[in-house]
Amino acid sequence: MPETKKTLVERLFAEHGGSLQAFLFRRVRKHPDAAELAQEVYVRMLRVPDIESVRNPEAYLYTVASNLAKEHARHERRDGDVVNVDDPLVQEQLAELPSYAGQLDAQERIKRLREVLHQLSPKCQAAVVLQYWHGLSYEEIGLRLGVSTNMVKKYLSQALVHCRRRMSRLG
Amino acid sequence: MSVSDERVRNLIAQEAADWFVANRAGLTFKERHTFATWINASPLHVEEYLALSAIACDLRAACEDSQGDLEGLVARARQDEVSPIQPLWQRLGERVRGAGSNLWPAPAFALAVFALLSVGLMWWHRTSSEHPGGPDQIAALHFETAHGEQRTYRLADHSLVHLNTDSALTVRYDRKERLVELTSGEAEFAVAHEPGRPFRVVAGSVEARVIGTEFDVRRASDSTIVTVVEGRVAVGASSSANPSAFVQLAAGQQIRVAGDLPDPPLAVDPRKATAWLHRQIVFEREPLERVAGEFNRYTAKPIEITTPGLRNLEISGVFATDDTEAFLAFLRSLEGVRVEVTATQIRVSQN
Repeated sequence: MPETKKTLVERLFAEHGGSLQAFLFRRVRKHPDAAELAQEVYVRMLRVPDIESVRNPEAYLYTVASNLAKEHARHERRDGDVVNVDDPLVQEQLAELPSYAGQLDAQERIKRLREVLHQLSPKCQAAVVLQYWHGLSYEEIGLRLGVSTNMVKKYLSQALVHCRRRMSRLG
Repeated sequence: MSVSDERVRNLIAQEAADWFVANRAGLTFKERHTFATWINASPLHVEEYLALSAIACDLRAACEDSQGDLEGLVARARQDEVSPIQPLWQRLGERVRGAGSNLWPAPAFALAVFALLSVGLMWWHRTSSEHPGGPDQIAALHFETAHGEQRTYRLADHSLVHLNTDSALTVRYDRKERLVELTSGEAEFAVAHEPGRPFRVVAGSVEARVIGTEFDVRRASDSTIVTVVEGRVAVGASSSANPSAFVQLAAGQQIRVAGDLPDPPLAVDPRKATAWLHRQIVFEREPLERVAGEFNRYTAKPIEITTPGLRNLEISGVFATDDTEAFLAFLRSLEGVRVEVTATQIRVSQN
């Protein structure tokens, strides 16, 4: 598999040991928590005096979010020490660790996402596969599908919105 | 979550997705600035962006089973002419409802509770010639949708514009007014309340002017139809020399203007005129010819009625605009009706 710049997000997430992603997924499903994390990230972003001059605002956003996710994990582990092991919250944290249970959770999530992908129109599906699996650029995808680069962006954007909506109904 | 919250939420998800996609291609200096401003505008933006990122992270793994038949997938994608636009918000009723069934699914009533903005005085306004681009004028923005596509835009004043299929509009805001020109198709507006800066929609020869309200404007080939969901709107022919010829419309009223001649306003169910917002089309004892015409606004293959006797067949039901198949299945279920799908069209005839 060629390493392309499209895997930037994957790399960023991977650098943080998957904890940010697990954290986000847990919170994507639990709306109040997701809002709380976003609020914290937001406040920290606001503290940057001149965010517009940051060379890569997206990477900066992920860094802020990962740092927060790590802080949360530490905080929750501390709490966990004094809480009953049967506590569902503790169980949830355990599932977050790269354990068998955590793996299952990710597999379940990907299986569900695969189903959601199949609901998309052929053009959206093909654009997603060509980008996320084959790592093609938008121009290359446009050539393969016989559409403009702008339409490719539209298809990918719609695909993401669709996945987001369907996946958030999981929890 | 109220309907208006959900609309805003979906809109933000769409904006977040657009930015996420744009970021993969790399941003220009200016775009980077705009993106940073967008992210810093609301914690909701941060939340949606992060949620999408997490999903994107799993997409590669989710694609794994599709890559085996890549050629087949690409071939299907190339053949698929219908613009694959996903609904902006949850579909309220995906099933076909046949004649005689409950016309309105319960959730559809939620549309009626969209946040009401107080509405001030409406007045008639004549031609738009007195709007030269002065120093206060902001550059015009152009929005359009493809055949079968629907899209929502949030304007600078936080008014929302929902564009239906095959539609185009231009937005020009300045200090004195908010001017929108609907050049084709149909749009629904939820207008942010700004007493000092009226919101004007010009659709060919027809103009609607409001301060804050929700209404739908549809430009058909021979006429323009304005439907008011909330508030009040003044409608008239912009070429008319007689300013008193305007018509005041209240919520639940609809007016059709052909050329310069407005028909008398009708009392309508505004949920019906704005059903497309939920990817629905609603018919109540309407002739098949009209129903087919309505579907043809969205489908890739036009529906043609080849038996003249069928044109006046009455149809009632709620259909999904992006599910022609369900509509065809409904037609096939009618006695004596035959449906043939060819490479270029859908033929409806009598058995």
